Amino acid sequence: MERSAEIELVAWRSARLNGRTHLPARRFVGMIIGCAFLSATLASWLPLQFSTITVFLFAGPHNWFELRYFLMRLPVRFGRSRNFFLVAFAGIGFLTLTYLSLPALYYTNYWSGANWPTALALWNTLLLLWIAGLVWLRGRQRARRDWRDWFWAWPAAFALSGLNWLAPELFSLAIVYLHPLVALWFLDRHLRRTRPEWLPAYHRCLLLLPLLVVGLCWQFARAPSLADDNGLAWRITQHAGASLLSGVSSHLLVSVHVFLEMLHYGVWLVALPLIGARGSIWDLKTIPMARHPRGVPKLIAAALIVSLSLVLLLWFGFSIDYAATRDIYFAVAIAHVLAEAPFLLRMT
Amino acid sequence: MDFQFEQVEIFCAILRGILAQSEDPMKRTLICCSAVFVTFATAAFIFADIARPKPSPAKVQEGKIVFHTGLTIAPQGDAAYEARLQISQESLKNLQAALASAQAGSPSTGQRIAQSSTRTIIAGLFLFLSVSFAGVWLARSASRRSHKAIAAVLLVVAVVSAAVIITRANAGPPGYVRWAGLPKALSEGRPTSGGLDIEIVPEGSGMTLIIPIRKNNNSKGEE
Repeated sequence: MERSAEIELVAWRSARLNGRTHLPARRFVGMIIGCAFLSATLASWLPLQFSTITVFLFAGPHNWFELRYFLMRLPVRFGRSRNFFLVAFAGIGFLTLTYLSLPALYYTNYWSGANWPTALALWNTLLLLWIAGLVWLRGRQRARRDWRDWFWAWPAAFALSGLNWLAPELFSLAIVYLHPLVALWFLDRHLRRTRPEWLPAYHRCLLLLPLLVVGLCWQFARAPSLADDNGLAWRITQHAGASLLSGVSSHLLVSVHVFLEMLHYGVWLVALPLIGARGSIWDLKTIPMARHPRGVPKLIAAALIVSLSLVLLLWFGFSIDYAATRDIYFAVAIAHVLAEAPFLLRMT
Repeated sequence: MDFQFEQVEIFCAILRGILAQSEDPMKRTLICCSAVFVTFATAAFIFADIARPKPSPAKVQEGKIVFHTGLTIAPQGDAAYEARLQISQESLKNLQAALASAQAGSPSTGQRIAQSSTRTIIAGLFLFLSVSFAGVWLARSASRRSHKAIAAVLLVVAVVSAAVIITRANAGPPGYVRWAGLPKALSEGRPTSGGLDIEIVPEGSGMTLIIPIRKNNNSKGEE
């Protein structure tokens, strides 16, 4: 058990000691600020086009990098964390399947559209209760702190569930906008463990985020809505919540959403691989579950190859029928949104 | 109904017995919360005993306000032969959007919540659970710091709520105040501006402009 816990720490320790990343702090801060301003500029200038291109280029690869990152943080033996990971993986599987079944049942006329908000509210409630359960389990694992310090998760989950039942569609839209910010939280946790001296600079950079969002709101609050006369543009504006927030310019909604998405992609594709680089991304030895004698290197290699094939398949699908592939991608991508919760909790 | 009172008495007796047996305050708190929950559930159940209301006659179709804008009534002398309604491009565009939304029948968020009683009940239940669990957590939490933090949050919420209530006093005067001087302004040939709700009514033809003019205008008190 101790060994398994040690293995988990080794990944962080070697990331800290390894000198392969010669990225100075100033360059790191400059990169963050530059990326943020460039994303905000492009998202406000050409929101629809920028959204189309970024999803095409980065949606698949960022999922691959995320999978690899999670595999690097997965212990060889779960030990005391067995219940936590059981609940985590069962929840990811169940919630993904139910999420995918919602539109499937709708399109096969198993229920009418009038029941859609109730189904959505039910799914959101299960999600919240699952996260609360994970927080509580994580709190019970940590011996240093009283588990009652983590009990707040339940009242918080119930309160959010209550709000969710009042306006399920708006709650789901909130998840769409908040999910990109989770990547910034991952980066914070990663820096805390590997480059704590960079944290103050990173936190100062984070202050730019609300300023840029307020700037976008100020610029596009009264802008005319985007012309969503074709299927793709309509999908992009609907994804950003144009029909739910009909009083808000869809230009503003799409710009803010694309800007946040771009930050999300930037963290997973650039920032975390640069900081946590411990060898080639193809090197399986950097993954504890593949390196350890009791590990499963073939399974890890197969998972990475299959997911890489899916990335190529996604690109192929985008080039054949962009709009349909986009719909399928954003339905299936809920799995990576869900997977972030347990791994983020493991890092706290 | 006697049968239900009997049930409640039995329930209370059982509860008293359970509370007397349990020494752990946590258990007592949980039992009390459960009892309150059961009472609420029973109340909802008993509500079914109230006689069903008599079906009301078919509602008279009422108008629906779809858009709020401004209106200026400007008298014109000999130059005009017909009353004219001038609408700016921007207002027309907004009006078209509002009319399209009204025809589509998409309800607002508030209407959606009000129309779904089941969802509202479930939301209330979850908020009740949240408050209950938060209370248990607060009672069981040993940390004084968390008590202080929660007290600070509650204080901030109270201050913000009070500020919201107070600042509502800064809301503008009622709409009819702006129209109070219309007769005099018309007689003097001056324009008068005020707010305007565009209401779609199911019957009639043409357009009707309804101006709120109070005969006993307490202008001193309102101003």
